[in-house]
Amino acid sequence: MASENVEEYLECVFDLTRNGSPAKTSDIAACMKVSPASVTEMVQRLSDLGFLDYEKYKGATLTEKGAEVATRIKRKHRLAESFLVRILGMRRGESHEEACRLEHTLSDESERRICQMMNNPQVCPDGKPIPQCDRECRLCESEPSMPLSDLEDGEAGLITHLRCEESPAKIRRLISMGFVPGRRVLVEEEVPAGGPFVVKLDECRIAIGREYASIVHVKRCA
Amino acid sequence: MNIALVGNPNVGKSVLFSRMTGIGVISSNYPGTTVEFEEGRIVRSGEVLTIFDLPGTYSLAGISEDELVTTRLLAERNPDVVIAVADATRLAQSLVLILQLVELGYRVVVALNFMDVARRRFSIDVVKLSEILHLPVVPTVAVTGEGVDELIQVIAARKVPRSDFVVRYDTHIESLLSALSSETGDRTGPFPSRGALLKLLEGNEYFAGVFQSATIEKAVRLREEFREEHMESIEVHISRDRFGEAGRVISEVVGKLEAPPSLGERISELTLRPFTGSIILLLVLSGVFLSVVFVGGTIESLLAQTYRAIVGDAFADLAALIGGQAGLAVARGIDLSLQAILSIVIPYILVFYIVLGLLEDSGYLPRAVALLDGLMHKIGLHGRAIIPMIVGMGCNVPAILATRVIESRRERLILVTITIMAVPCSAQVAVILGTVGHFAGLGYAVLIFAILLAILLILGRLLHRAMKFEPSTLAIEIPDLSVPRPRNVLYKTYMRVKDFFVIAFPILLVGSLVLETLTQYGILDKVVDPLSPFTVGFLGLPAVTIIALIFGVLRKEMSLQLLVLLFGTANLATVLSPEQLFVFALIMATYMPCLSAFAVMLKEFGLKDTIKVTVSSVVLAFSLGGIAHILFAVF
Repeated sequence: MASENVEEYLECVFDLTRNGSPAKTSDIAACMKVSPASVTEMVQRLSDLGFLDYEKYKGATLTEKGAEVATRIKRKHRLAESFLVRILGMRRGESHEEACRLEHTLSDESERRICQMMNNPQVCPDGKPIPQCDRECRLCESEPSMPLSDLEDGEAGLITHLRCEESPAKIRRLISMGFVPGRRVLVEEEVPAGGPFVVKLDECRIAIGREYASIVHVKRCA
Repeated sequence: MNIALVGNPNVGKSVLFSRMTGIGVISSNYPGTTVEFEEGRIVRSGEVLTIFDLPGTYSLAGISEDELVTTRLLAERNPDVVIAVADATRLAQSLVLILQLVELGYRVVVALNFMDVARRRFSIDVVKLSEILHLPVVPTVAVTGEGVDELIQVIAARKVPRSDFVVRYDTHIESLLSALSSETGDRTGPFPSRGALLKLLEGNEYFAGVFQSATIEKAVRLREEFREEHMESIEVHISRDRFGEAGRVISEVVGKLEAPPSLGERISELTLRPFTGSIILLLVLSGVFLSVVFVGGTIESLLAQTYRAIVGDAFADLAALIGGQAGLAVARGIDLSLQAILSIVIPYILVFYIVLGLLEDSGYLPRAVALLDGLMHKIGLHGRAIIPMIVGMGCNVPAILATRVIESRRERLILVTITIMAVPCSAQVAVILGTVGHFAGLGYAVLIFAILLAILLILGRLLHRAMKFEPSTLAIEIPDLSVPRPRNVLYKTYMRVKDFFVIAFPILLVGSLVLETLTQYGILDKVVDPLSPFTVGFLGLPAVTIIALIFGVLRKEMSLQLLVLLFGTANLATVLSPEQLFVFALIMATYMPCLSAFAVMLKEFGLKDTIKVTVSSVVLAFSLGGIAHILFAVF
């Protein structure tokens, strides 16, 4: 298992080599806020450990092994940040710092659950892509969030989010009737011939049209 | 003291209002009955309590019409106490609204309604609820009056404090709130600044008015930033936290009982299953139709006999008293309007309203809406449109008023046009059955109903396309089924028939007098010959029938009696062929609405649209008549 410091270095090299050219020690030093001398030493060590390919005067690139670690950390960072901002409503500055700490300690299981809850997000709040999961993540494959309209009769789901590109009027109508993230919704009946979905939100029974039902995203639950 | 009644749609506000004030308000078991607000006064221990009933609303976000009306009226009337009517069986929805009332600094007392139903399903710790919310909570059963007295006492004794309960929102929202309140020293009138700022952040247009423009701009920018940062609008997060808070409160006060589903619940399930639901729907709709036609028909002939027996020669005497043709015109005009009331209003419309009242109070209508929404969408309408269309089977006047439940004006206009042209009202049904149905065979009558259905489908699609209108999607709450209370049904029927009288009777009377005068002075006869190329040539009808057709503008069912008069025989089969009867009935079925419907449309939609609809319905009616005549001639 790589140490936190190792992970930070690999992450830094990951960022610096995204344009395709190797990372210079001076750039790594600026990014890590340490002296170039200690960077050279660390890069040499990481190269010995097989995380980096290092050529003097040219710079460092990630090996396959190093890229794997860096991608995983990056993914955890951006997932955590997305979670903090979108679900917990934290502000971006705070969320970044907290995500920097979480990325090293977040368990794989939590990572999976966050991914699942947020419907396998593609980008983090600042718009950077979240590296996709490279594992056999059965949770994600079988249980991503989906539109309410995809639930079968008798199935229940937890509302994860409302599709935000929809018109504010529709979103507001839905939230005022109680379709808000975190509530459990049970599909009682899908009326055929393009009819609405008859759903239960706690004790309330509501008929909502297909268009509305496709805005509400849920995660299947018991 | 000013007291406002606020609550979600369909929580029994109107019933509670009637119970408190003794003033009748129409209440129904479907959302959106109170369109305008009602007011009543009572005196309790020397204090005058002015109570007003507001339209049902899910929130005070101020977006939809009802929300905006409620926020505005609350702010303008600034009530001393707000009675928040909560549905004990669906507490979360109600609590969210209560939390918003508390946030805005109102003194709130909770009327926990439908307690009788709730007690059967779970336990509610009312005392604890009151302790958590820091508010008085009074359990009520509005339909029986339970708890109403206690509620009035709590208010009259001025025992309603301002609650200091605070909902905490997520960190970002809280930081926006504190930033806004420290930076802007805006005075927010009677509202606590936290509550007013929350409304501003939620995008409530009314509350934008209490802030200075700099603050409003800032809020707009913050809303935008929030949306970009969280990829979700701020009101979703605010609502989420309110529902979260409501859920937490509920978990502390509500305990589950294991109650087996009651008979009502099992029937309720059947009404929503597509298969059984469709059968029930078909039974209900044909039940409405048959009861109006048969029960109404029976009552009509009874009343007509009684009327003749009572009136006797009174109108002949009146005519003689005034003298001349004027005397005849006045006497017959009054006579005919009275007959109209007895032959249409009382039998058909009264019966229809009773049936409608039963349907409304049973909570069945939203089920019909849910089942038919898909089909209605195919003809460009909202599922909710089914209610005005059912009402239209009784009379177009209340049907036009009932379209108010539809939010968009375009959609309302489409719906009214379709209802007027393709949904036969009870008078039109009487004409169809009384002419072709009676003299030419039921097959012809059925054919007319089939043509009407086809018009409904085609017209729906055409208008939908012509007006470039996408029907809004449905979101309607489906209340539990309940047994209608006769008192409420009869009361509603009384109110509606009264409304009908107020709107329709004066028009009926004036119209009858004018037409009678025209007839008595032979003016109407003068149009028979000039129009005969049209009547005889195009429609293939005897020239005199044009008089009956013109009379149809005033009153459809009268045209039937007029035919009898014009031909001097009650057996129309001897003077008109089945084809002619068919053409006549078809024109009557699609023809423009009577004058009363015209007047109501004018009031609701203005002159331009009313004339458009009227002219197109007349053109449609005569074109169909002409086409039918040509087809009969060819085949």
